[in-house]
Amino acid sequence: MDAEGALAGLKVLDLTTARGQFSGRLLADMGADVIKIEPPGGDHARRIGPFLDDRPHPDRSLFFWFYNLNKRSLTLDLRNPRGREIMLALARGADLVIESFAPGEIAALGIGWKELRAANPALILLSIAPFGQAGPYRDFAADDTILTAMAGMLYVNGSPDRPPVRPLGLQAYHSSAYYAAIATMCALFARDRDGRGQWIDLSMQEATVSAVEHVAGSYFGEGRVEPRRGTLHWSRYFRVARCRDGYVMHCSLGDWTSLVEWVAGDGKAQDLVNPEWEDVLYRAVHAEHLFDVLDDWVKDYARDELLDRAQTLRLPYASVRRPEALFDDEQLAARGYFVAVEHPELGRTIRYPGAPYLFNGTPWRVRRRPPLVGEHSEEILRADLGLDPAEIATLAAEGAI
Amino acid sequence: MAPMPLEGIRVLDFTWVVAGPVATRILADQGAEVIKLERKPGPPGSRQTGLQGDLHRNKRSIAVNMSHPRGVDIARRLAVKSDLVIDNFSARVMRSWGMDYASLSQINPAIVCVSMSGLGHTGPRSNYVSYGPTLQALGGFTMLMAEATGEPAGYGYSYADMSGGYTGALASLMALWARKRTGQGQFVDLSQFEAVVSVIGPALLDIAANKRDQTPPGWASQEGPAAPHGVYRCRPRDDGDDDRWIALSVRTQAEWDRLVAALGAPGWTADTKFRTLYLRMRNRAELDAHLATWAAGQHAEAAMELLQRAGVAAGLVANGADICARDPHLRDRNFWGTVTLADGRTTHVTGIPMKLSATPGAIRTPSPEIGASNDYVLGELLGMDRAERDELVAAGALWP
Repeated sequence: MDAEGALAGLKVLDLTTARGQFSGRLLADMGADVIKIEPPGGDHARRIGPFLDDRPHPDRSLFFWFYNLNKRSLTLDLRNPRGREIMLALARGADLVIESFAPGEIAALGIGWKELRAANPALILLSIAPFGQAGPYRDFAADDTILTAMAGMLYVNGSPDRPPVRPLGLQAYHSSAYYAAIATMCALFARDRDGRGQWIDLSMQEATVSAVEHVAGSYFGEGRVEPRRGTLHWSRYFRVARCRDGYVMHCSLGDWTSLVEWVAGDGKAQDLVNPEWEDVLYRAVHAEHLFDVLDDWVKDYARDELLDRAQTLRLPYASVRRPEALFDDEQLAARGYFVAVEHPELGRTIRYPGAPYLFNGTPWRVRRRPPLVGEHSEEILRADLGLDPAEIATLAAEGAI
Repeated sequence: MAPMPLEGIRVLDFTWVVAGPVATRILADQGAEVIKLERKPGPPGSRQTGLQGDLHRNKRSIAVNMSHPRGVDIARRLAVKSDLVIDNFSARVMRSWGMDYASLSQINPAIVCVSMSGLGHTGPRSNYVSYGPTLQALGGFTMLMAEATGEPAGYGYSYADMSGGYTGALASLMALWARKRTGQGQFVDLSQFEAVVSVIGPALLDIAANKRDQTPPGWASQEGPAAPHGVYRCRPRDDGDDDRWIALSVRTQAEWDRLVAALGAPGWTADTKFRTLYLRMRNRAELDAHLATWAAGQHAEAAMELLQRAGVAAGLVANGADICARDPHLRDRNFWGTVTLADGRTTHVTGIPMKLSATPGAIRTPSPEIGASNDYVLGELLGMDRAERDELVAAGALWP
């Protein structure tokens, strides 16, 4: 069938900074031609670590690499009038422009929605901003940490008697990027009907609010302000426990009879043999007592031993593993999750986390390693805009590229 | 009203719990016709409000017994009239019903099937039973979300259900998009486990390239150095709530200068040990102590306003009431949706975090009770008359 990727043929101009860059990767992964447009010297995200061998350099940022796999790079000074012209010329041949500048900034540069739409009425513009393009907090400054705070995500992380703990990873950025990629797909479907592009206003605060499953639901449904609960999941069916060589995660969903038989066989069931515990809601209501009893049961087990036996009984227990273990995980290996990406100029091949899905018709694949700063500038100007080497040299001399 | 982006796309939705319904909620919000195929009785608790109200709004529901061969027949007839069939079961379930891609593509070659199982359909652990929180534990997430002591501290929620759900919606749309070009459907085997580990992508590359064992980052910034960077306890609210915090994130020298100015340049800010980012990082315990003293005298909302007006990235550590009832920005943007329930009451639900200027999505209907759309789906779509449906109910293939 079609081995080009599901989004083959789509052209995307990616002006995003660190907070928006994952959205372009999600599209590039599936075959869209995503051109990362960076300021001369490279995107700021290239200065964020970790770095390869801990040596900071714009072409050695692992942070940049993860989010920019499969993209091409063009350096362009959007403040330079010739740079702006090139941007608009590229927009004429593009399907999408993605940007994550402060609201109003692209308009100030003369490449706002008005100019882009005039250049190409079928173009879709996606603007990713911390608080969207309008509203009283529009100009508030925020990074991922501040977004998790203002979206109600940070407050529910950690223990009730201690300060909130920062969520792991860039969850606000990731949630926003997924919604951004989904929004562009929706706009493409709409365009397919009437040929017209549109402007998408994506608020990262709203995307992050939407990513905390229980906070709004509890408030509107039951008038409850969700507290921090430590490792007890808000549903009250999961909690972390210490075992002999680390931690495991309890789960009181699944086949209760099998679990109690096992625990009772170890002489640790206490009152859990009583019939009221067969009711799943009773288990949730009395979760603290339930997990205290089970904590005493698991403390002498090794975590993998417990995991294997639980899964044999179809009990949804898990071991709390180190992330390093993922690289030796048989399941991920069997599915080819990690993919070797060659960096020939560094003489290195590095295993990247790959795609979370297998498409049987239009598969995911690595087409190119993350780009060096401006690596494809000449190729793009030549092939996409038809400029000749002399014109390109002039642009470089003028500082536009 | 402008047409919605996904109008004309019909989804046969077998998903349950959270991740799957998150995926199909996104499609339904943008105009896809999502038909949930469910069994009776469903799980206890309200379907109309809370998380369930959030998850199933804009969807239809039919009550079909898939343990009955004629129930399966109904599902297969619907698959012929659908664009997408989506589930989050483990591999064997859809196969056992003959509802897997290999079977359905024979009766509808254009069908897209997306299966969002916990660990994927292939591999030695494809039969693992899992939920969002257990996938986070297996993925290294739970280990890295720790107190300074190393004791696991979270999560109290399942980001895995969200990353899985978002990936499911995106994968569905990409496969449907490819179909426009190829005319062919396909099968997408999505692993929620693989989706959630991508959120620590840069850390995984650090392991792969630098062989570095990861430690819980705690309050170290995960996007380049920052100091101050943390939460500081504020004055109690006037209603007595004393769990009030402000989050601060200061990176550049210009941001530091603005913070100092907004604080009124107290003496300690001139101390040479806070002069550069490097020094602020090195002396952050002392820096945090000064800021904690300052914050203790401030209301969190007022502190945020003061600092943001000065151009400092500062945010109220918002709780449920803050985001749902008090945040003026979310209210001004009309973020929360409103639905009218069967009894005439209205309730709010989580809104749609993407505004498409020409064809915005919409929250149209509340979460349906199980089987609420039997008339429309079986009568109108499949053309079954009343007698036939009554007979299927009597046979145990349908719930009324």
